[in-house]
Amino acid sequence: TGGHTTEILRLLSCLSESYSPRHYVLADSDKMSEAKIRYFEQKRAETFSESQFSLDRIPRSREVRQSWISSVVTTLYSILYSLPLTYKRKPDLILCNGPGTCVPVCLSAFLLGLLRIKRTTIVYVESICRVETLSLSGKILYYFSDYFIVQWPDLKKKYPKSVYLGRIV
Amino acid sequence: FRFKDSLAEELQSADLVISHAGAGSCLETLEKGKPLIVVINDKLMDNHQLELAKQLHRDGYVLYCNCSTLVEMLQSMNLSALKPFPPGQPEKFASFLDKVFGLQ
Repeated sequence: TGGHTTEILRLLSCLSESYSPRHYVLADSDKMSEAKIRYFEQKRAETFSESQFSLDRIPRSREVRQSWISSVVTTLYSILYSLPLTYKRKPDLILCNGPGTCVPVCLSAFLLGLLRIKRTTIVYVESICRVETLSLSGKILYYFSDYFIVQWPDLKKKYPKSVYLGRIV
Repeated sequence: FRFKDSLAEELQSADLVISHAGAGSCLETLEKGKPLIVVINDKLMDNHQLELAKQLHRDGYVLYCNCSTLVEMLQSMNLSALKPFPPGQPEKFASFLDKVFGLQ
């Protein structure tokens, strides 16, 4: 969604073509991100002509301020929905930065890893907006990600297993 | 004017920006090098948006007030005391990932 998409595209801006093909996963209710992504990829194709990407949509796992109990149910549903997608793409790397959409995708990849079907490296970058506290996605994925990146020193202190590189967006 | 795709044009021609504490608004404004006053909505207290605005203020990049003190701030503000906002460094992230995957 919106701010998350802008941030993640900035994160991608300096990546080499080794990080290809790129598979973007969006919430079905997200109207604006697709245009931003296509624009980004179009620009990229001007420099790297072999550039490849795809877009997939999954049901939104949680609405803002949705109740705890119904969130668990909708997230479980989203995990089940994500499994065939993650299985099909078998990504080497999942990069995410906090929208609810990323939790089921990461958990489905984590599950495939436990089942020895595909070992994916999960890299989570907490949003620049998070200075003192983690988002809910962050709090969950802190335990499931291989690398958890924060952009402010207070968070590095509170979450010692995180990586601090300064502001990267 | 409700929901334009982008305020980039307006930002470019502005001398001063007064905004809510939304991260996108703050960062976009700072990146364009425009002086920014962030107005906090006291009624939305449980709001992680405040974290970024407060930090940016602590670091000296923005001025900060609430609705009732805005007029006073406009009268007494010192914009030259604001520090220029350095850009983020996605190249550090790329470097980090390259190391993770042994791509250096």
